[in-house]
Amino acid sequence: MAEQREKIDALAKQVDGIEAKMDADTVDDVGLVEIRSQLEAIDKALLSNGVAFRPRLGEINSRITQLGPPPVEGQPPEPELVSNERRALTNEKAEINVVLGKAEDLSVRVNGLLNKISSLRRDLFTSMLTKRYQISEAFNGEVGTTVRSEWGRLYYAFSSWMRFVVQFKFRAVLLATFFALLAAAALQFGGRRIFGRLLTPDPGIEEPSYLSRLSVSFWSTLLPTLAMGVFLAGTLGLYTYFNVLRGDIGLLINGIFTIVFVAFFINRLSNAALAPKTPNWRLIPIQTRAARLLVWLLTATAAVVGLDSFMGVVSETLGSPLSITIVKSLLASLTVGILLLLIGLVRPLAGEDGRHRPWPAAIRYLLYVIGGITIVSALLGYVSLAQFVSKQVVVTGALLATAYIGFLSARAVAEEGTFAQTAVGRWLARRYNLDETSLDQLGLGASILIYVLVIIVFLPFILFQWGFQPGDLAGWLSKLATGFQVGTFSFAPFAIITGLIVFVVGYFITRWFQGWLDGSVMARGKVDAGVRNSIRTVVGYAGIALAALIGISAAGINLSSLALVAGGLSLGIGFGLQNVVSNFVSGLILLAERPFKAGDWVVAGAVSGTVKKISVRATEIETFQRQTVILPNSDLINAAVGNWTHRNKLGRVEIPIHVAYGSDAKRVHEILLEIARGHPLVLRNPEPFVWFSAFAESSLNFEVRLFLADINNGLSVQNDIRFAILEAFRKEGIEIPYPRRELNLKSAVPPSWPLDDEKAEAEHHERLRARAEAAAQPAPKRRRKPDPA
Amino acid sequence: MKTLILAGLAFLGASGAVLAASAVNKDSEPRMLIVTEGGSRSELTLAPGETVEFCSSGCFVTMPNGDRVALTGSEDVEISGGVGRVR
Repeated sequence: MAEQREKIDALAKQVDGIEAKMDADTVDDVGLVEIRSQLEAIDKALLSNGVAFRPRLGEINSRITQLGPPPVEGQPPEPELVSNERRALTNEKAEINVVLGKAEDLSVRVNGLLNKISSLRRDLFTSMLTKRYQISEAFNGEVGTTVRSEWGRLYYAFSSWMRFVVQFKFRAVLLATFFALLAAAALQFGGRRIFGRLLTPDPGIEEPSYLSRLSVSFWSTLLPTLAMGVFLAGTLGLYTYFNVLRGDIGLLINGIFTIVFVAFFINRLSNAALAPKTPNWRLIPIQTRAARLLVWLLTATAAVVGLDSFMGVVSETLGSPLSITIVKSLLASLTVGILLLLIGLVRPLAGEDGRHRPWPAAIRYLLYVIGGITIVSALLGYVSLAQFVSKQVVVTGALLATAYIGFLSARAVAEEGTFAQTAVGRWLARRYNLDETSLDQLGLGASILIYVLVIIVFLPFILFQWGFQPGDLAGWLSKLATGFQVGTFSFAPFAIITGLIVFVVGYFITRWFQGWLDGSVMARGKVDAGVRNSIRTVVGYAGIALAALIGISAAGINLSSLALVAGGLSLGIGFGLQNVVSNFVSGLILLAERPFKAGDWVVAGAVSGTVKKISVRATEIETFQRQTVILPNSDLINAAVGNWTHRNKLGRVEIPIHVAYGSDAKRVHEILLEIARGHPLVLRNPEPFVWFSAFAESSLNFEVRLFLADINNGLSVQNDIRFAILEAFRKEGIEIPYPRRELNLKSAVPPSWPLDDEKAEAEHHERLRARAEAAAQPAPKRRRKPDPA
Repeated sequence: MKTLILAGLAFLGASGAVLAASAVNKDSEPRMLIVTEGGSRSELTLAPGETVEFCSSGCFVTMPNGDRVALTGSEDVEISGGVGRVR
C-alpha cells in the first residue's frame, strides 16, 4: 500500500519535471519525441500500479459482505471486534480509493501533455518552414568582412588541429587511416572477387537481360558505397579512439565525411543507373551525352546540398552570425534550384527523327516546379523552406530512386521464366530438382519478398527524412502490436499475423507427423493400405483443425465469441450447406467403417471401377476406361455399393457354352472339367464346377464355373479357357451349334433357255432378218401441206 | 477444400478480435460508471441487465458505490447492488 503510494508519488514528480521542461520552451523535436515515449511509459506504469490494488480491494469487499451491514437501531449491538474490523476495512478501502484517484488524475494530466506534445511538434515544424529572413539586411556591407573572419577562424581551427596532430598524434593518425583504409579495401576487393561478375558490366554483351542490368547496377552501387562508408566511419571511430579529435573538430570532420559520403553515393547510384560508358547496360534508355551530363548534374546537386549542411555545422560550432547562415543557405538553395532546372532542361530521350527529345512532361514540370519553388522561396526570404526542399529533393530522391530500382528488380524476378535463369534459381533447380512451374512460383514469392524488404528498408529512412523520429515509428509499431480501435472493433494486425504463422507451422507439423506415421510407423507395422489411408486422412484433418484452433487463440480471438457467432449462423449453414455437411459426415463414416478402401474394385450404381482416393467430401473412382468419377460420399453411404475385393479378392467367373444335339454330353462334361482344372490360376478349392444347365432349342447348354484367387485376372483366365475349349472340341469333333437360316427367294423368273437349240436359232435369225428389212425400207414421206400462198 | 479453409478464416476474422473489457448490470435499476480512458472522463450508464463493451486499452473506473478500480482492458465487470466485481 505505502509502496504503491510512493511509486505513484514518484511518477507524479517525474511528470512535474517533464512539464517544467516543456514549459521552458527550449526542447527541440527530438527531445519532444523522447519526452513523449517517457510519458507513455508513465501512463502504463500508472495503470499497472492501479491494477495492483485490485486483489486487495476484492478481499476487502468480500470481507465486508461477510461481516454484514452494521446493526440498525433496535437490533442487539454487535461485538466490538466486528465493528472494529469493519471500520479498519472501510478505512483501508478509502485510502486505496484516494491513491487510485490520484493515479487517475495523473493519467489525465499525462494524456493532456501527450496531446500538447503533438501540437508543439506541429508548431515547431511550421514555424521552421514559414520563418522569413530579411535578405536585404543580410547583404549589407558586413557580409564580406564576416565571411573573411569566419574563414580565418575555420582555417585557424583546422591548422591548429593539424599542428597538434603532426606534433603529438602523427603515428596514431597514420595508423588509424591505414586501418580504416585496409578495412574498406578488404570489403571493396573482397567483394569484387566474390561478386566480380556482377560488379563490372561487360561491354561485350550485346543485350544484357533486364535482371542482370539491375543486379549490376545494384551491386556496383552498394559495394563501393559500403566500402566508402566503412572507410569514413572507421576513420572517425579510430580517431575518436586514439583521442585525435579535439573540441569541435570532431563535428566538423563528421560534417565533411557526411558530404563526401552523400556525394559519393549519389554519384555511384547515378553512374550505375545511367551507365554513361556502357550504353547496353543503361537502366533507362537515354542518350550517352545526356547520361554523362545527368551524372554530373546529380553529383553536383548532392555536393551542394552536402556542403550547405556542412556549413550549417560550421556556423553552429563557430557561432557565426545569422547573416552569414542566411547568405550561404540562400546561395546553396539558389544553386540547387538552378541545377534542378538544368536537369529538367536536359534532352535525354532519342526521338524518332534522330533529334533529342526532352523528359516526359510530368517529370519535366515536376523538376521545374521544385526548382522554381526553391529559387522563389529563397529569394523571398524563406530560406529554411528552400533548404528543406533542396535537402529533401536530394536525399528523398536518392532513396526513392534506389527503392525504385528494387521494385523494378522485384517485378523483373516475377516475370515468367526469369527466376530460373538467376543464380539462385539454377542452384535451387539443381539442388531440389524443381520443375519450371515451381520455380516460377518461387520467383513470384521472391518478388513479393523483395517488395516487402524494399518497403521495410526504405520507408523508415524516408520517414526520418520527413521529420519523423524513431520514437514515432516505435509508437506505431507498438500500436500495431497491441491493436488499435476502429469504432467498437479493435484490430491487432500483429496478433493476427502471429495466429496465421502459428497455423502455418501447425499445418506443416501435421504434414510431417502424417508422413512419419504413414511412412515409418504404419509401413513398418505392415498395416493394411486402406487402414493406413484412413488413419492418415483422419490425422490430417484433426491436425489442421487443431492448428486452426491454436492459431485462433494465438491471434487473440476469443473462442467463446466465436461459438456465439457459430450458433447464430448454424441454422443458415444447416440449410445452405446441407449437402456439403451430409457428404462430410458420410466421408467420416466411410473412413471409420471402411466398406471399401483405396485400390478396391467397387460397383456403385452405374459406376464400376477402382477406388483412387477417399476425401472428406467425395470419393474418386477410376473406371476401367480410365475415366475418373467423383462420387459424393453420401451416395456411397445411402445406396448399395458392391465391392469385389472387400475382404479378399476371391471371385467366380462363368463361361457358358453350347454343344449340338448328338454330341456326347458326358464327354463334353469331362472335357470342360479337365480344362478348368488344368488352368494354373483356377482354384482347386472351391473346385471348378461344370453345370449342365439346359436342353435348349437347338443345343445342350453347359456352364463352366471357376473360382479365382484374384478376380482381377478374370478376363485373361476366361480367354485361356475359351481357347482351350475350342481346341478340345475341334479335336474331339464336337460341334458348337449356331443358329441357321434358310433363305427362300421368290420372284418373276425370266424364261429360261429353251431346250431345242436349232429351232430357237432359226427363229432368232428370222427375227434378225425381219428387223434388218424394216430398217432398210425408207420411211414413208410425209406429205407437206401445200403452201396456202 | 481451399475455398472452405479461406471461408473459415474469413469467418473467424469477422467474428473475432473483440478485445475490450465488458460490464454487465445485474441490478434492477440503471447504474452509472465513470470511465477515465486516454485522458478523458466519461459517464457510462447501464440499463438493468445491459452489457457494454468499453475500455480497450486500459482505464480507471469509478463504480456506483464510489470504489475505484484500474482495468487493463480484458476484464469482465459485474455490478450487483451497486458494487462492482472484477473478474
